[in-house]
Amino acid sequence: MLSIVYAVLFYVATILLVVGTGMKILKYARTPAPLKIPVSPAPRTRRGVWMRMGREVLFFQSLFKSNRWIWIFGMLFHWGMLLVLLRHLRYFTQPVWWWVELIQPIGVYASFAMVLGLGGLLFRRIFVNRIRYISDPSDYLMLLLIIGIAVTGMGMKFVMPVDIVAIKVFFLGLMRFQINELPMNIGVLLHLGMVAFLMIIFPISKLIHAPGLFFAPSRTQVDNAREFRHLSAWASQLPPLPEGIPKDEKG
Amino acid sequence: MKRLFASFLILIGLMGMASAGEIKSSLAPVVPKAAGEAHPEGNEFMRINHMKLMVHDRDDTVLLGDRNVKYSLKECVACHAVMGPDARPVSVKSDQHFCRTCHEFAAVKIDCFQCHNSLPDADLVKKLTMLPQKDRELAAYLKEVTE
Repeated sequence: MLSIVYAVLFYVATILLVVGTGMKILKYARTPAPLKIPVSPAPRTRRGVWMRMGREVLFFQSLFKSNRWIWIFGMLFHWGMLLVLLRHLRYFTQPVWWWVELIQPIGVYASFAMVLGLGGLLFRRIFVNRIRYISDPSDYLMLLLIIGIAVTGMGMKFVMPVDIVAIKVFFLGLMRFQINELPMNIGVLLHLGMVAFLMIIFPISKLIHAPGLFFAPSRTQVDNAREFRHLSAWASQLPPLPEGIPKDEKG
Repeated sequence: MKRLFASFLILIGLMGMASAGEIKSSLAPVVPKAAGEAHPEGNEFMRINHMKLMVHDRDDTVLLGDRNVKYSLKECVACHAVMGPDARPVSVKSDQHFCRTCHEFAAVKIDCFQCHNSLPDADLVKKLTMLPQKDRELAAYLKEVTE
């Protein structure tokens, strides 16, 4: 019964996550960026932009330059979460990919880095006055939600083990449109419930910064306005000016 | 509201009881049958806690010198021996090995057999299963014939 509830919950959450994020990406892609506004110092070639985006995505370069503490906690959290997420691929692949098997133990340690980073970010929101002043309830919600997911996950690893074989059967089943029994364990239910909630609110939360970063014109534009005349797409499609209007204005 | 919450908890408890035991799905790994008696704690308990039992007993034996522990890896291996095509027990090198069926499914590495023997102790197998060698050979032969 509750297995069915969770199965439906995950189908709905997956659809909302994929469609919602897809719609947001489409919206970002269609939003015009008519002006050349790369933040300097900006690369002057396309290749340079790729390098800049690489540094930005992998190492949070601009955050490093602006705030070292947030950078440390952010790096700990994001890289920790990446390893933890990759470790979870074992629940969705059969046979498990060799490199997923290889990083299993690393993912366990990464969970500590993840919680440490999140804890630091939460501490900052609560105890740095000017950060607390600009913090919204949703800022706290995201942090607490991801901390909750991480802590329940670690609880199932270190304190109260659960039947992971049955859990994998449940998720392999979902991917084949069959509903198997989910172990009725409070840790499993809390962990998965929070994950589904996070998936649902992802497209309408601040977490959408993940795909959003790739559409930031101040980072993705090439600084070549001196070499080439910049003409936005809509401007190049304007009809020619009618007779009698001077093309150039002097002065 | 309180009553609703209580009934929700009871519901979870009931379903927990209903699900105890085997995983019924074609997607689950095929776990080989053991030779001896079933665990009184139930298979689900063993799936979840076998490593705790083994590590706990290891600590009892190694740190406290107690050799009369309840669970022993030797007995696990003896009772859960899987016969290969040559009617002899397979080692952990074979993917038929009892431990590997689930451990591979869950991508969990087994450290035990870096030191311990994954092959059953012949005397212990006889003691635990009371199945004469001849019968086992016959069983393996029949299995081969039917396959």
